Amino acid sequence: MFSTLLEQIINGIVTGSVYAIVAVGMTMIFGVLRAINFAHGEYYMLGTFGAWVAIDYFELSYEVSIVVGVLSTIVVAYVVGKLVMQRMVGAPAEAGVLATLGIALVLQNTVILVFGGGYKFFSGGYIEPVSLLGFTMAQQRLLILVVSLLVFVGLELMVTYSRMGKSMRAVSQNIECCEVVGIDVSQVVLRTFVLGAALAALSGVLTAPVNVNVYGGMGELITFKTLPIIIMGGLGNVRGTFFAAMLLGIAESLVATYVGLQFRDTVGFVTLILTLMWRPHGLFSTQARF
Amino acid sequence: MRKVISRRALCFTTAVLALAAAGPNLAPPAVAADESIRLGVVAPMSGPNARYGSFSTRGAQLAVKEINDAGGIGGRKIEIFTGDSQGTPVEGVSATRRLIDSDKVDYIIGDVSSSVTLAMQPVAEDAGILLLNAASSNPKITYGAGIGGYKWTFRNYPTDENRALIVAKYAAEQRGFTKFAVLSVDSDYGRSAIEFTKKYLPQFKGEILTEDYYKEGEVDFRSVLAKIRDSGAQAIILYGLVDTTPIIARQMTEVGLAGKVPLIGNGEFNAPSNIKAAPRAMEGAVEAAAWLPAWDSPKSKAFVDTFTAAYKEGPNNHAYVHWETVHLLAQAIKEAGSPNREKVREALSRIKYASAVGDVTFDDHNQAKLPMILLQIEGGKPSVKGAYTADIKYPSK
Repeated sequence: MFSTLLEQIINGIVTGSVYAIVAVGMTMIFGVLRAINFAHGEYYMLGTFGAWVAIDYFELSYEVSIVVGVLSTIVVAYVVGKLVMQRMVGAPAEAGVLATLGIALVLQNTVILVFGGGYKFFSGGYIEPVSLLGFTMAQQRLLILVVSLLVFVGLELMVTYSRMGKSMRAVSQNIECCEVVGIDVSQVVLRTFVLGAALAALSGVLTAPVNVNVYGGMGELITFKTLPIIIMGGLGNVRGTFFAAMLLGIAESLVATYVGLQFRDTVGFVTLILTLMWRPHGLFSTQARF
Repeated sequence: MRKVISRRALCFTTAVLALAAAGPNLAPPAVAADESIRLGVVAPMSGPNARYGSFSTRGAQLAVKEINDAGGIGGRKIEIFTGDSQGTPVEGVSATRRLIDSDKVDYIIGDVSSSVTLAMQPVAEDAGILLLNAASSNPKITYGAGIGGYKWTFRNYPTDENRALIVAKYAAEQRGFTKFAVLSVDSDYGRSAIEFTKKYLPQFKGEILTEDYYKEGEVDFRSVLAKIRDSGAQAIILYGLVDTTPIIARQMTEVGLAGKVPLIGNGEFNAPSNIKAAPRAMEGAVEAAAWLPAWDSPKSKAFVDTFTAAYKEGPNNHAYVHWETVHLLAQAIKEAGSPNREKVREALSRIKYASAVGDVTFDDHNQAKLPMILLQIEGGKPSVKGAYTADIKYPSK
């Protein structure tokens, strides 16, 4: 009984780490732009497609395909960032919603036009099971867990010590003062956006081996699940998002086991409603940014 | 200075663009077809069932090409129009409406998903369009057809009533299973197949330990599979989609179920790509399908060869049934002597058509009596165990 519970919690943590990498990108973008990036899931999808193309068309190895997937998404994100996201600085919130929704539609349907609507099979990755604490899971999941921890440690370090990180914190606190101090807000926005998208792409490529199916519409559900996470964690709060993602992952896992698999997706939406009703600024510290 | 667009200019431009886009449809339709026979095909070309849709459309197109190359029907060629149902009832109805109103089709073959077909039935009925279903298995479709209500719906595909019975029978009698776990897709197809399984299981001394349904698009089954592993079930009853089968099979390997607990039901287990995804998990899987490429009959093998030559890829069940249904319709039109819908409907109700799995006739509910083929995956290949037909018990009105 207890071991089943522990197993489900571990499953939940693994799921949570996937969400965490995606969510942290979305929350950072919100932090600097004050805009919710509704197209965030599409970068997850683009990363996966990039890797899939690398494996299927160019017969590259999985490791190389990870790099290809992330790089191709960085290119797309750079273009989108320059053309659209930089203009969002100082624009009203509605502009951000409309623009990112539009981008999401364009990206999704371009991919469907080019590659077709059918599900593709992702053949790379380490899917052999490995034993951890007496529970088996695919090696890939362990990789995801490790990478998510590394990403967070890396981000913490970057945000605290590096110049880019400090500029990001500055922009997320007060844009006018940044301009007074001499920080190039547009550049920071662009770099943060590309970083966020790259993280989403990384998550996509790492998860593709265990999710097996690659298709143009796969980003939508990711966007919808990430939204409750970043709200729970506090918009712009990176540490909070990490814990919120784990919480959601574990909650989903427990609901799927003890209530029913068909209710798994409802967990995200129910938490969104509850959080907005009782603690709209998020479960964690309201002041913390990064 | 920022350029300001005047509101009047914006409204005017939008109106002009909208009219221009709608223009072609506003013009009165060209006097249709005393020339061609207009056939619509509604299938899921995107979304979770896109694979089925792609095969279905290609099967239908292959048949149309064969008929047209042989001179058409009574000198008339068939013109095929496709619609994308995206696997959802809403889009399926939209696509049907477009085919009827814009493309002016006389017959529609559609859809793959039972949920979509059920939604299309009243639309076709109102318009007096012949709806030939080639791939949906929910029994309700023909419970409500023929003398059951929808006179214009015909189905050339066996139902889940038959499928649930023979799968349960085989699992209990040949494999000796009594404890089952249910994991099916959350749609009319998945749920009704389980409903019928529950109806028949008691007579084979079977019991269901856990019951779960997954949403189309679900990717994480580990929690449920761990629960099933710990429940002591001997087999998993899975009525699902072809694209989720490899995910479930792989996650069964992760969780430790591969080789211990087989899958039984339907989800294109026999597709080579699915078997390759997780061979140990798929070994011993039991499936009831309307057709599979390994079916041994000359007409069937000829179809497999023609399809593979035309599309560089082997056909699946859905390609076959749509191909067969187009030929069935062609024969009905020939026997009716004209493309007039009433006459073709009459001809269909009396037809005796030699298909690759046996003779097809329609009963008073417009349901074709067709066998389900039972197969088991052995040594990485599907091995046909037999073809079974069951009598359908229609609920009394």
